[in-house]
Amino acid sequence: MNNKQWRLFTGTLLAGAFLLALTACNKLVPTYRDALSAEAGFSQTTFEPVVGRTTQYSNVFVNPNNGSTYPIDFTIVNARRFSGEAAPELSDIFPVKVWKQAYTGTETSIAEIEGKRATEYHNVFEVRKHSGDFVLWSSSTSRILRCQADSGYVFDVEMSNSGGRRYFRNMRLMPFRERPYEPSNLNPVTGQSVSNGIYPSYMLNVRGDSSNNYLTAADVDVYIRKSSETGKTPGNTISFMFLDKYFKPIDPAKFALTDWNNLLHGFNVKKTATRVTYDVAFPVPLAQLPTRFTTADGRRTSVKFGYSRIGFGGFRQDAVIGLDFAIYEPGDWEIVFAFKNDSPKFSND
Amino acid sequence: MKSNTNIRTSYLACILLLLLVGISPLGAFAQEKIKVQGIVLGKGDNAPKSGVTISVGKKSIAATDKDGRFTVMVDPGATLTFTFSGFGAEKKVVQRATANLEIVMAPKDEAMREIVVQGFKRATRETTTGSTVVISGKQLQDVPVSNVLELLQGKVAGVNIQNNTGSPGAMGTINIRGVSSAQVNSSGFLTPTSPLFVIDGVPVDMNTNYEYGFQGGGPGISPLSLIPPEDIESVEFLKDAAATSQYGSRGAYGVIIITTKRGRSKVPIVSYSGSYFVSYAPAQRKVMGGNEERRFRINQILNYDTSYAQGMSLINITPFLADSLNPYFNNSTDWQKLFFRTTNNQTHNVNISGGDQTFNYKTNLNYYSEEGILRNTGFKRYTLGMDALYQPSDRFRMVANLKGAMGQRNNGSGMGLQQVNIKNASNLSSLVSPAYYADFNQAADGKEVRDDNKNINVSTSLDLQYEPIKGLRFSNLFTYNIITGSSSKFSPSFINDNIPEYYAYNDKTYNLYDRAAINYIRSIGNHNLNFFVFNEVSSYGFRANASLLTQTANDQIEGPVGYSWYRSKGGTLDNAKDTRIHGFGGSISYNYDTKYVVDISYRLDGTSTNGPSTGYTVNPSISARWNFNRENFLSDLPWLSYGSIRGSWGRNIVPTGSIFDVFGTYRIGNNYNDDPTVYIDWGNIPNDAFKPVTKTKFNLGLDLGLFNNAISTVIEPYYETTDNEVMDVSLANVNGFTKIKSNARSVANYGIDASLTWRVLPQNRAVQWTVSGNIAWVNPILSKLPNGERQTILSFTDADNAKLPLVYRLGKAPFANQLYNNEGVYASTADVPVNPQTGLRLQNGRNTGIFFQGGDPIWTDINGDYIIDEQDLVTAGNPWPKFTGGMNSMLTYKNWTFNMNVSYTLVRDVLNIPLAQTFQNFYNPTVPQALVPINEYDIWKPGGSKTSGSLNAKYPNPFDFRRAGQINPYRADQTLFQEDGSYWKINQMTFKYNFNRTWTKRIGVTSAAVYVTLNNVYTFSNYSGPDPELVTQLGRDISGGYPNRRSMALGANIQF
Repeated sequence: MNNKQWRLFTGTLLAGAFLLALTACNKLVPTYRDALSAEAGFSQTTFEPVVGRTTQYSNVFVNPNNGSTYPIDFTIVNARRFSGEAAPELSDIFPVKVWKQAYTGTETSIAEIEGKRATEYHNVFEVRKHSGDFVLWSSSTSRILRCQADSGYVFDVEMSNSGGRRYFRNMRLMPFRERPYEPSNLNPVTGQSVSNGIYPSYMLNVRGDSSNNYLTAADVDVYIRKSSETGKTPGNTISFMFLDKYFKPIDPAKFALTDWNNLLHGFNVKKTATRVTYDVAFPVPLAQLPTRFTTADGRRTSVKFGYSRIGFGGFRQDAVIGLDFAIYEPGDWEIVFAFKNDSPKFSND
Repeated sequence: MKSNTNIRTSYLACILLLLLVGISPLGAFAQEKIKVQGIVLGKGDNAPKSGVTISVGKKSIAATDKDGRFTVMVDPGATLTFTFSGFGAEKKVVQRATANLEIVMAPKDEAMREIVVQGFKRATRETTTGSTVVISGKQLQDVPVSNVLELLQGKVAGVNIQNNTGSPGAMGTINIRGVSSAQVNSSGFLTPTSPLFVIDGVPVDMNTNYEYGFQGGGPGISPLSLIPPEDIESVEFLKDAAATSQYGSRGAYGVIIITTKRGRSKVPIVSYSGSYFVSYAPAQRKVMGGNEERRFRINQILNYDTSYAQGMSLINITPFLADSLNPYFNNSTDWQKLFFRTTNNQTHNVNISGGDQTFNYKTNLNYYSEEGILRNTGFKRYTLGMDALYQPSDRFRMVANLKGAMGQRNNGSGMGLQQVNIKNASNLSSLVSPAYYADFNQAADGKEVRDDNKNINVSTSLDLQYEPIKGLRFSNLFTYNIITGSSSKFSPSFINDNIPEYYAYNDKTYNLYDRAAINYIRSIGNHNLNFFVFNEVSSYGFRANASLLTQTANDQIEGPVGYSWYRSKGGTLDNAKDTRIHGFGGSISYNYDTKYVVDISYRLDGTSTNGPSTGYTVNPSISARWNFNRENFLSDLPWLSYGSIRGSWGRNIVPTGSIFDVFGTYRIGNNYNDDPTVYIDWGNIPNDAFKPVTKTKFNLGLDLGLFNNAISTVIEPYYETTDNEVMDVSLANVNGFTKIKSNARSVANYGIDASLTWRVLPQNRAVQWTVSGNIAWVNPILSKLPNGERQTILSFTDADNAKLPLVYRLGKAPFANQLYNNEGVYASTADVPVNPQTGLRLQNGRNTGIFFQGGDPIWTDINGDYIIDEQDLVTAGNPWPKFTGGMNSMLTYKNWTFNMNVSYTLVRDVLNIPLAQTFQNFYNPTVPQALVPINEYDIWKPGGSKTSGSLNAKYPNPFDFRRAGQINPYRADQTLFQEDGSYWKINQMTFKYNFNRTWTKRIGVTSAAVYVTLNNVYTFSNYSGPDPELVTQLGRDISGGYPNRRSMALGANIQF
């Protein structure tokens, strides 16, 4: 080789060596992949929700010490009945109302509330894509799903990110049939009532008309039932009725201390001698948010009826009867307070 | 007196010459000798050069005197050769007698002839295969600093120096080529991986006693601060495995060799350099003061409290808001001004040296005094260094070195890096009184603590070499270094809850090192061989004692005992250490005609912290070099001055951990049958396979000199891995022990170091301009975690009380922050996402009922569960700079010199924690903390209602104090406070004037120069905090840090 060729050779050698060195470094170090920790998993693998209401299982996916890299994708795969046959009801979609704007408890009309909600189509049982939270939508019914005492459904969850995928196998969905209201007197498995009614949540200073004794919650039965009113166009309402010991209606106006306009988050209050009716949006309460209409934890709507009378010795006594409740199924509902043992005493002593 | 002797010698030489001529029978017919007189000057500083050898042919005939003058008698037409170490030889043909021959000698700029250290041998760069950079001590002059490290910033490619503390006498951080450790200590500092320093042969490990600030109570004086920069001849940076192979047992993080000046003039030289400098604090942050602040707080309460009545009540129960006419609260105190100050400082250095090749000596005296810009802090240095070389013949050589240094430091109330009390005090509201009796007594802490911290460092070394047979050389180097530190601190009662407290501390560090070696050199034709075997032992020990006396009699009497026996304590601190290292091995160097060079070295190292089953570790290295400019086919290229390519592969270790990690900890338990029991601590299981940290390095290098060395450049790609880093690995709970210290983590670094020097103007001009620059790109990658994990989170609480976990991820930067991803501010409540199932807005925390609203920060809900919690933390940022480097410009015109240094750190993420804390001060208007003029920031401002307001604001609403504690909108761990920490910094600017020697000679001075230096001139950065450099290695700005002072110096160098 002559000088020129040697020079070319040397130059190529140098350039080649440096390029090789630069590219080789990248290959020596491990490539980045998201982490998928072996310790990550679900803290709950059997889900027993009540159909007919939206139930969210949040924080069931645990990622100790953040050992896995978010975001992680979750999907339900291979959902089947416990017997092993396919479960098309879990892959079908059903309309459900979802919130688009936040419920605040200060909405002034049904239209405003409905304006914040929209209808979407969802599987009745879903896993949230990135959080691993499970949701059973209110569109679920015992007609769609096999409820207990059936063994329900078995499904697998696939967890994946760029670091790989893992499967959590044989997780169980065992729904209970509808209990459209709470507190409930229905057997969770059969759906049949096990008592005449439920008891009121508050009972204060209510004296019996004939006994003159203070009445307790056990002296009152509360029935939450679809409306018995006849000749009314079906809608979404809640009515309150009061029955005396003869099961005759008491005029709600006798509960004179009641703040009828702010009794619950309902509108168009209609008062008659037998009942007070509100137009409401279901479920009641609409969200688990503490508002003026709910209990302190926001889980139930709290209604209170009161009246005042002058008791023995000229002392004023304010009496209260109330109920914390929730209703999940739309329709015309009535809540009846039946003073089964003694009627309340409204007259002064 | 001395000069007379000298003149006499030169006369004597002339007479002898004449005599010789006279004796010669042919003398009468010999040519008439001519008398040549003249002066030799150094290029650049124009100073006369003494001790320059003048020879004719191969015979040395004279040397210049201390004024650089010479007189020789030679034959007409003779060629005089002037040689001087470190300078290029100058030749001059003389035809007739001259009285004023002026010779200007230029420093050798041929990079290939530079002498560098590789292993324990000195060789020309041409025959070394490793990666070495030499910085001349000349580049480190004329800037008064306490720690020479500050001056090295940006000077060497791949050496990342961050002056992240301005505390005088302390040391910043230094890392060679990327991240060597991902280990973080409990207070949030990265484990230091400073290279090994070898100061005149004495190895000094900066990592073992590195002061983090508040751990330990030592004086906190860096050993480097005890070296006067004026005395430094050169600093060599050994980067790759071939270069550091011989320091292998501690050299894994690189080696820096500091050599002090030697005598080399036959005539004694006394040189003085001194300077007077003014240090001043950088700009402080703006705060609100006085009435403005009070009005602001009151408005905040009235506007944002739940009701007007509630607000009024809150104001009325807060005395410093309500009781505005009380002089105790009616203030506008500038707390920062109370602590910061401008100081006047000085440094003086006297260097006396002399001698020749056979015997030379040097004595250096140094005094340095710097008052810190924070009150009650400062550093003083007193050093005396002596050095002597005796080489009666080529066969025997002895170098003895003795250095004594004392550093004295005042820390104020802080310790080392941290000034926590001053930070707390300067975070106080301006409404509060600065009086000492005030409740906020940490304010006085910084000023009233009486403290005194001293380090005394004595280091000695003796280097003996003997060559019984030509080529066979025995050598032994023995060094001993002892450092004693003492610290005392008295906190008077009125700043310490009425308890006067006296803290006394002392420690002792010793370091003994001995290396015996045999070297054999053999040349056969063009084949040159060098065999080298060595054995080295070193021993290191450290022990510290401390005592705390509380409740002394009063604030004037600081002892001898406090009367609270219960609270007083004392004893030996648990960081005592005693380690040994033994290493032995050998190396073979071969080169053919200095064209092809191959080095192989092999060594075995045992450390006292190696596990018994690990034994000695094997650390080989192999390297080669090809000087291709010596090839025939390239020798005819006129533009190629030199060119070579080299490569090296090798392994080095650094001892790690302690003996307790290897053998477990045994403790003394209760008595059993009246005999004391000993049991093993169940914390760490013994690890008998414990290994030292191992670095495997691969390095390529290309050296090029072009256009007659006007341009010289070095490009070095490298790939390094650090293995066996210690990590706590939890054991299964069925095991009796909880943890094992496992050598489980690895980090890889790859990158390119490049540097370029360009002599812009030809050498013969009056104006000379040289620019040089370097750049280092590094990509550190975490390459191994224990148990095959890909990600682990390390939770810890920072020094700043910020809980910011670090995340280790395989395949990414060795550590990164876990932060909430901030996407701005919700303009109104309607913008907050709503959970479609529940109808509720995004919540802060699970089941808290704390919903986001307008004015709150938008944090990304990573897992989509409409809850912001720790599952939404994302890994963000890379605190390690991708690019570091610097630039230097040297402009000379006649006697004037202008020198400028710039350094830069680019592409790094810094968490601005102080900014977050500044905003957090608005969380509670009834707590007297400093408020900044917040309207200067782009904050969210409400519109008509309090739940909707300005669009696209950067910072969330700081005023909503009733919700602030629940939302914590200004939490530090969010990307809002992660900023680009890149900066360019003008480190130094020096204007220097060298006086004409004809003028100075009249007053008996051989050379004199005066200069003005600006240090830490300006930092260009987009970073919104005070200083992007003043951050920890984890990229966290810690507000308790000591700011870097700016300084202006006026100095003089005089040589007699």
